[in-house]
Formats: sequence, C-alpha cells, structure tokens
Amino acid sequence: MQRNTDSMAGVALATTRRRFMIGTGAVLAGGLLARPAIAQARELTIISNIGNADQRTVLQRLADEYAKASGVAVTINNMDHEAHKTAIRSYLVVGAPDICFWFSGNRMKAFVKRGLFDDISDLYEREGYKDVLGATTGALTVDDRQYGLPLGGLLWGMFYRKDVFEEKGWTAPATIEDLLKLGEQARSAGMVPVSMGTKEMWPAAGWFDHMNLRIGGLEKHLALMDGKLPYTDASLKPVFDKWEELIRADLFTPNHTSSGWEQAAAALAQKKAAMMDLAGFIKYGFPPDEVDQLAYVPFPVIDPSIARYEDFSLNSIHIPKNGKNKQDARDFLAYFYKPENLAAFLEAESAVPPRNDCPPSKDPLINAAVESMKTVVGTAQYYDRDTDPDMAQEGLKGFQEFMVKPERRDQILERLEGTRKRIFKE
Amino acid sequence: MSHLWRRHRHWLAPTLFILPGALLFGVVIILASIETIWVSFFDWDGVGPMQWVGLANYEQLFADPQFYVSLKNNVIWLAMFMLAPPLGLALALLLNQAIAGMKFLKSLFFVPLVLASVTVGVVFTWVYDPTFGLLSLIYGWFGATAPALLSDEHLVSFAVVIAALWPQVAFCLVLFLAGLNNLNEDLIGAGRVDGARGFAMLLHVVLPQLREVSFIALAVTIIGALRSFDMVAVMTSGGPFGSSTVLAYQMYEQSIFSYRFGYGAAIATVLFAVMAVFIAWYLRTLLRPEQETA
Repeated sequence: MQRNTDSMAGVALATTRRRFMIGTGAVLAGGLLARPAIAQARELTIISNIGNADQRTVLQRLADEYAKASGVAVTINNMDHEAHKTAIRSYLVVGAPDICFWFSGNRMKAFVKRGLFDDISDLYEREGYKDVLGATTGALTVDDRQYGLPLGGLLWGMFYRKDVFEEKGWTAPATIEDLLKLGEQARSAGMVPVSMGTKEMWPAAGWFDHMNLRIGGLEKHLALMDGKLPYTDASLKPVFDKWEELIRADLFTPNHTSSGWEQAAAALAQKKAAMMDLAGFIKYGFPPDEVDQLAYVPFPVIDPSIARYEDFSLNSIHIPKNGKNKQDARDFLAYFYKPENLAAFLEAESAVPPRNDCPPSKDPLINAAVESMKTVVGTAQYYDRDTDPDMAQEGLKGFQEFMVKPERRDQILERLEGTRKRIFKE
Repeated sequence: MSHLWRRHRHWLAPTLFILPGALLFGVVIILASIETIWVSFFDWDGVGPMQWVGLANYEQLFADPQFYVSLKNNVIWLAMFMLAPPLGLALALLLNQAIAGMKFLKSLFFVPLVLASVTVGVVFTWVYDPTFGLLSLIYGWFGATAPALLSDEHLVSFAVVIAALWPQVAFCLVLFLAGLNNLNEDLIGAGRVDGARGFAMLLHVVLPQLREVSFIALAVTIIGALRSFDMVAVMTSGGPFGSSTVLAYQMYEQSIFSYRFGYGAAIATVLFAVMAVFIAWYLRTLLRPEQETA
C-alpha cells in the first residue's frame, strides 16, 4: 500500500522538471525528518551466529510469523559461529544489519563503548522487561542504560553419567576432597577422572574460573577480570596450589592439548571418563538416546566459608547503532522475546531462559540448571567473556600451559601480569 | 584512428594488457603493504580511532618472548622445507621411467597436491592423535605408546612441518618431472659416448640442465616455508600454549583475537623484511642470466 502511493506521487511530480526538483527536495527533506514513515518497503535484516539447526528453524519460523503480521520483509543471514566473532567488528561499522546476535557482559561493553550498539532502554521500559529479567538485566547494562536482550544462560558445572555412577556405587562429589577421592576410584577403574580437552584453550580457563570463585569468591574474581588485581597477587596462590595438587594427582586427561571439548565430551559419553566441567551443551557430545543419562552437579566446594558463585554465561541479541530500521527492529525483538517464543528458541540448546515467566521446559538438563540457579548467590560469565579480549587471549594460553607444566607457574603469572599492566595501562 | 593505433601499438598493446594486472597488484599488494607498514606505527584496535605510538609496537615486539618462539619456528620451517627439493628430485628420478603402470603411480604421488592444505592438516591431525591415530596404532603393534606429537612443545613444530612437507615434496616432484621431460637427448647421448653413467651422468649432465627448475623449486619452497599459516591454524592453532606459532599466525592472532592491529602490522612488517632478503636474492639470480645473454 505504502509502495503504491509513493510511486504514484512520483509519476505526478515528474510532469515538469521544475516541479520534479521541488518534489525531490521535499521528499529528501521529509526523509530526513521522518525516515521510517517514508521508507518504501519496510525491511529487516538479521545476522545470526547460530550453528544449531533446530534453533535456526525456530528463529526462521518466528521471523516468518512476524513478517506476516507486520508486513515487514525479514531476512536472516546465517554465519558460522567462529567467523561471526571477527566479522561483527567490521559489519557494525559498515553495513550493519538491523539485529544481530552477540554475548552480554564485557564483550558487549567493548562495542557499547565505541558507540556501535543502540540504547534500547526505551524497549525495556515499554515492555517492562526489568520485572521479568530481574538481576540478569545487569549483564546488559552500561551506565544504567540497556543495550541488548539476554538470551539463554549457560550454567557451568560438573557433568557425569548416572548409569556409570550407579554401577560403580559412586556419589557425585560435593567437596574437592570428594573429587580427589573419586579421582582415585576412577583411576583404579581404568577411567580418566575428569575429561579435559584444551585444544581450544578455554576449558582450562573455565577450570581456573571455577576454582577461583570457590576459593577467592566473586568480588576478587571480578577485580581480576577488570584488571584491578595483579595476577601475581598473593590471594591467587591457594588457587594455583590446589590446582597444581589436582594436576599432580592425575585428575585430568593426559595430553589434553591434543583434543577439543567435543572429544573430551565423547570420552565421557563412551564411559572412558568419569566427569567433565562444561555447560548444558555437553549433550551435543552424546548420542541422542543417551542424553537422559547425563546429570549435573555444581563444581565442588573448596572453602566452605565462600558462598556459591557460578559461571553463568548469557548470550544476547542487539540492535546495531548503524542499523537502518530501528523501530521495526524493536517491534521484532518484542515479538521474539514473548515468553512462549523465547522458550521455544532456547529449548533447542538446553539453555536457561532469562525470563522468569517462560513456560516450564521438558528438558531435564534445563530444569536441573534452573533449580540449581536458585541457590547461586552471584554470577560471573566466563573468563574469556569477562575480561578484556586481549588479556583473555594471553590468559587462555597461560592456563593451558599451567595445566601441562605446573612448575612454570611463576613464569606464567609474571607474563600475565605484564600483559595486564600493558592492557589496563597501569 | 587506425593510423594512430598502428604507430603506437608497439607500446600501447602491451600496456593495455598489463594495466589490469598492474592496477590490481598495485592496489592489493603494493598499497596494502605500504598501509600495513603505516599502521604498524599506531595503537589501533581495528575499529576505534588510531593513536600514533611511533616505534612502541616494535619495542614491545622485540621484548615479547612469543616473537622469538615464532621466529625460531619459522627457522625450523625453513630448514626442514629445504628437504623438499632434493626429495622431490629423488622421487622424480625414480618415477621418470618407462615401466608399465608408472602413470598410475605418478598420479598417486600427485594426490597431496590436489588436496586443500586444510584437508592435509586435518588428516595429519588424525594420524597424530594419541588415542585413535594411525601413529598410535603403529606404536601399539610394537607394544609402545606413541608420543602425543601435537601436545609436545618441542616436537609440535616438526610434526606440523612434516604434514606440510607432504604436498610440498609433491610440488617439487611435478616441477622436476617437467624438467626431466625437457632434457636434451643429444647431451645425454654425448655423455653416454664419453662413458658417463649412473651418478656421474646425474651430476654432470642431468643436473646442470635442471638448474632453472631447481632454482624455482628452491625459491617457491622458501617462500612457502616463510608464509606458512594454514597448517598451523588447522593443526594446532599455534598451540600448545603458543609453542608452534609462526610469525604469520602470530600476526593473525594478535590482530583478530587480541584486537591489536598495530601490533599485528608490526609483526607483518618484520616478516616482510625477512622475506625481502630472500626475494632480493631471488630477483638477482633471476635477472642475472638475462643480463648475461642480453
């Protein structure tokens, strides 16, 4: 309809050259004043980084439904998850879509600081998101303004096979002493106690996170992530002491730098390993008919005086500042973010819904995580999401090296401290 | 018009033919190289404003232990890649015989050349895998445990280079086979009359005729060793903990993952300087015979 009236106006205006010029000027001026109203066919482009086929299907369905109801043509461009991490930096500057997927917290902040994500506090206000999101809003907030909507949360912890534990008569470890004892039992049963694959390095950093949260607590951990605490600080010593003890007790997969997390997860599935530190997506490493054997238990307690803090990473969805159609982008997000739509989208990756009014899930892994979240006092996201990306790169390398050569601890920490000073300009 | 064309075509035609290539080369290679050197004097995250820091990137680079690890690995690559031309020549001599089925055998040796280097990398990663790889199976037959090559900081570079050598040897093999087909029969006949055979024939009659081919094989191998990147990225991502990183990979990692484009550009500039030495030698040797004949 809009399109027809526009082209008819064009025909009428073209009758004389003079009137055409005036007309064009008026259209241009009008365009500057009220661009959304005069835009011809309304279009919305979304860049997605979703690798999971089921989830893509849900997103496509929601986009189609929205397009039908609103008359806005919605295009989804799918990108490879890893390639997207580098592509986003150029497309946010040149050729931004109207909506894109990303990660909340520090990774989001990097773009907010450069003015590349749109402030959507108005959408939060309009839809009353703060009431249903609660504390989660914090991960999307910079200086009291919101710059994106949280998607599924990944709760990190230890996973094991119920049937194996039942058969051997083991119980899931609650404390680090339990874990060490389980380590002995597993080794004498010919199994690797904790499956570890550090080829992509981040699993080692996750292990550091979880130990540091159990020993040092959240506040110190976040200070370290923000570059405010030196890597050579005395408070980190017990963390590395304990970690070294675990490494020396042969708790982890030998030659873990040769394998990725998928291989490590496969070892758990094949009953070659007893436990593994990961999030709900561990189920991709399992045959579909054995997923129900998976069970979750929080990372073991090390210092009982420290409250329960966990890594809970939140993916997110954003409106780029340089996108063209910000109004429709907001409307689409509002539609996408309806409790039933969001729940359908998150079900496919076993992620914890951020809204408290989503319909209950049928996935036991999601429900275990939701249940467990109730006793969590505070959350970080994950090492390479919480700290500066440059620092993260060196940190990941350092933790991987420590897991192979714990005797090089001082050297590694000195190096990380040098990097921290360079990045956080001390 | 046609008169004008006839008068000027001796220079106009070649210019027109060269122009698109020269333009592309100028923009994509020359301008990009100059800009890289320019960027190396800035602190830049690839998105935000650029800040002039003078030589600070280079100072940091020369104080960075990772830089020396990368440089050392580049030397390992260079030294081990030197095996490719002689191995290629040996295989070419072996295969250059008129025996039934030789064509089929030759094609088997060409296989790695057809494969994308990423494929070669993945295949070798499987071969090296300490749990199910071919290497561990072979060791298993002798009752030994295979070393986890890609997890050992001292062996990892050699393991990656061996994977990269496979297609490189095949490439040299093709070059030498082509060279062997162009041997001057008269010279070989004359040599035979003079009583040369076997190794003497190879050394004094065949090899001198392969001089140009050997030179190209050597030059391509050197450049290939210095710009090695894909194998490292596929097989180890520079790991474990940076011990198999080469300069090209470190540049990529610093620019893309650490958001340090200025620093990455400084690494690129150093790599360019190292390569320039070999390129200068290449051009000098390439131009010299032409001057002699001119």
